[in-house]
Amino acid sequence: MAGVNMAHNPNLTYLSRAQAEKIHAASLEILERVGALIDDEESAALLRKASVAVGDGDTFHISPKLVEWALSVAPKRIVLHNRNAEPVIPLEPGRIYFGLGSDCLFILDHRTGKRRQATLQDVNEAIRLADALPNIDFLMSAVLPSDVPTEAANRLQMRSMIENSTKPIMFVTNDFDSCLDVVQAAEFVAGGAKLHEQKPYCCCYINVTAPLRHNVDSLQKLLFLAAKGLPTTYTPMVLRGVSGPVTSAGAVALANAGELVGLVLAQLKREGAPIIHSGGYGDVFDMRTTTGAYTGPESYGVRTAMGAYYGLPIFGLGGSSDSKLPDEQAAAEASLTLLFETLGGANLIHDVGYMESGKCYSLEMLAICDELISYIRRYCQGIEVNDETLALDLIAELGPEGDYLPTEHTVNHYKETWYPRLFNRNHYDGWLAEDGLTLHRRTQRRVEEILQSHTPEPLEGKIKQEIEAILG
Amino acid sequence: MELFKPIVEATVAGDEERCVALAQEVIDKGVDPLQAIEQGYTKGMAIVGDKFSRMEYYLPELIRCADAMKAAMDVLKPHLGKGQDGGVQGTVVIGTIQGDLHDLGKNIVKTMLQAAAFTVHDLGCDVQVRSFIDKAEEQDVDVIAASAILTTTMAYMPDLVNLLSDMNLRDRFKVMVGGAPVTPEYADEAGADGYGENAAEAVETAKRLVQSRRGGA
Ligand code: B12
Repeated sequence: MAGVNMAHNPNLTYLSRAQAEKIHAASLEILERVGALIDDEESAALLRKASVAVGDGDTFHISPKLVEWALSVAPKRIVLHNRNAEPVIPLEPGRIYFGLGSDCLFILDHRTGKRRQATLQDVNEAIRLADALPNIDFLMSAVLPSDVPTEAANRLQMRSMIENSTKPIMFVTNDFDSCLDVVQAAEFVAGGAKLHEQKPYCCCYINVTAPLRHNVDSLQKLLFLAAKGLPTTYTPMVLRGVSGPVTSAGAVALANAGELVGLVLAQLKREGAPIIHSGGYGDVFDMRTTTGAYTGPESYGVRTAMGAYYGLPIFGLGGSSDSKLPDEQAAAEASLTLLFETLGGANLIHDVGYMESGKCYSLEMLAICDELISYIRRYCQGIEVNDETLALDLIAELGPEGDYLPTEHTVNHYKETWYPRLFNRNHYDGWLAEDGLTLHRRTQRRVEEILQSHTPEPLEGKIKQEIEAILG
Repeated sequence: MELFKPIVEATVAGDEERCVALAQEVIDKGVDPLQAIEQGYTKGMAIVGDKFSRMEYYLPELIRCADAMKAAMDVLKPHLGKGQDGGVQGTVVIGTIQGDLHDLGKNIVKTMLQAAAFTVHDLGCDVQVRSFIDKAEEQDVDVIAASAILTTTMAYMPDLVNLLSDMNLRDRFKVMVGGAPVTPEYADEAGADGYGENAAEAVETAKRLVQSRRGGA
């Protein structure tokens, strides 16, 4: 079974109930007092129809009552399906799934070790690798190809994801038009719009200009998807100290307010529209290097706690790094962020394999994270405590200096222990004889092996043709 | 001059009150204000810039020091001789290029340019190539600075340069580009005069471009 099941494990409670309520109240106050700019006509009309007050400068001042209504009608559970219409990703409390990120500008070529502009071939390989990796549950495009016409890029990413894997898809499109085609393709695979609505094979990741400024493309996508009953995120981003307060509580309250605008609009368009909520992205701005950092400790905990407070499916971010190479820093940042997000209960954790704060993608990093996720999954399984696992009779039988190795109990249970596939536990000389490599170098080889050997389940010829006709 | 050392110190400390008081002292004692700027405040800001690039200072400290210096400038400027601009580095029109809504990086570049005593005209985000040029002409700027954070919108950078050429304005303005997808090689290919990987580099490049424009023109 894929994903992490935390049924046996206590979640991490990062915020007290009172703290979460206070942040929620702050988001409500921001929406009512400051208001949001809405750059799309239909969205503005929906808000006016819902009697939202319009202030000076065309700000929409959304009342707490309207937000509470939207929260009460938004679905608490969303199920994503794979290409074969199987319900593989139920987004519900305690179920955690992992996927790639999208659209990186550069890729670290695992064959040469060099950083270069990304191509369509890189998308294909990333998706093929993701298809093969057992702990990667859903797809995103990894990189934005630079070797295809700009207008075609998002469509070709989608085509690659459909053709090279059966896993569920989270897509990103820059413009509204590509979004229409991408959804049409997914619907075709699912056997029509109606079936796709019941068993969504894809969901969307929308980024909004700012918490209180909502751009037209994002709003059009949101309303289109809401009308179709298809799941999407709707995430503005606050860069702390630059486009919002530098402090966690304020940054998250502001970003969360922006997400709530999307939630309200989606529900006004169609009551019950499925929204994946992040709880408010407040990224750290590094005041020394002037970069946006993905893995600052302040970015973790609060956001997922807010998601949990709402009880909506939670969007997360982990398995990423601010490092330039899949080095020690990258492994550390990936481990910590995957663990924080999992324990925080994020249902859909994306950006696995991101380097350089989302600017560069690494296939080795994706494969290393696959190993980390399997480790975390084992940890989250918890333990069984019963007569068999306590093995009291055995302990008594063997006495103070017992040799447990030859016992049937050991034989029966040793396979329950987690074993690494990339991490090395060998003796020193054994390690030298095996390959004598660092994790990064070993993973480079592993990635190439998988790409050489893995063939994804082929797409039926007729469907393939139609997908090509739609997406180019 | 005995006043210059405390001016440098006050600037490096970002002590606005003291920077202003010292500027007043410069005037009261009849010290040459241009010298006070060059050997006091500007020298102090150079140390600040240095501390920033060594990651000893954080961006808010750099901004505070720049603000302190600016406040002192307000006192000194009326006393400068004719034709002395009191260290204004140059004029820049900046914007995020069309189709692109990422303006955070551009805003930081703007802040740093202002901190380094540039006059900056900010056109915001999603700026048409033509609008950069119109503003540049209107304000007679030294540098047109374009930011792109998407691979797709970066493609408009050559358009900016080409349009300048078509309008016979290529020699009149320097073009500086930057943003996440832009590399030095790409900046070259696009025909830009300069590039910066981050805001501090943007400032260095802008200074260089202003010098070459004014020297070369
Ligand atoms: C914040 C962010 C957003 C915010 C932007 C908010 C805003 N008002 O700016 C929001 C959420 C709106 C957003 C939207 C989108 N984003 Co975005 N975003 C980012 C993110 C995470 C950080 C960018 C940032 O602000 N960094 C911090 C600043 C300080 O750094 P910077 O921008 O690089 O600027 C520095 C330097 O580059 C340089 N510089 C910048 N400008 C200039 C100019 C000159 C002249 C010079 C010399 C130097 C210079 O100095 C700055 C300071 O050091 C990046 C990932 C990343 N790490 O870059 C993705 C990223 C840029 N986004 C991406 C994408 C795909 C999108 C969307 C298309 C997603 C969507 N469909 O919903 C939309 C596009 C909207 C549009 N049409 O523009 C991709 C780009 C893909 C590509 N290959 O082009 C990235 C790389 C993430 C990813 N891998 O998916 N995004």
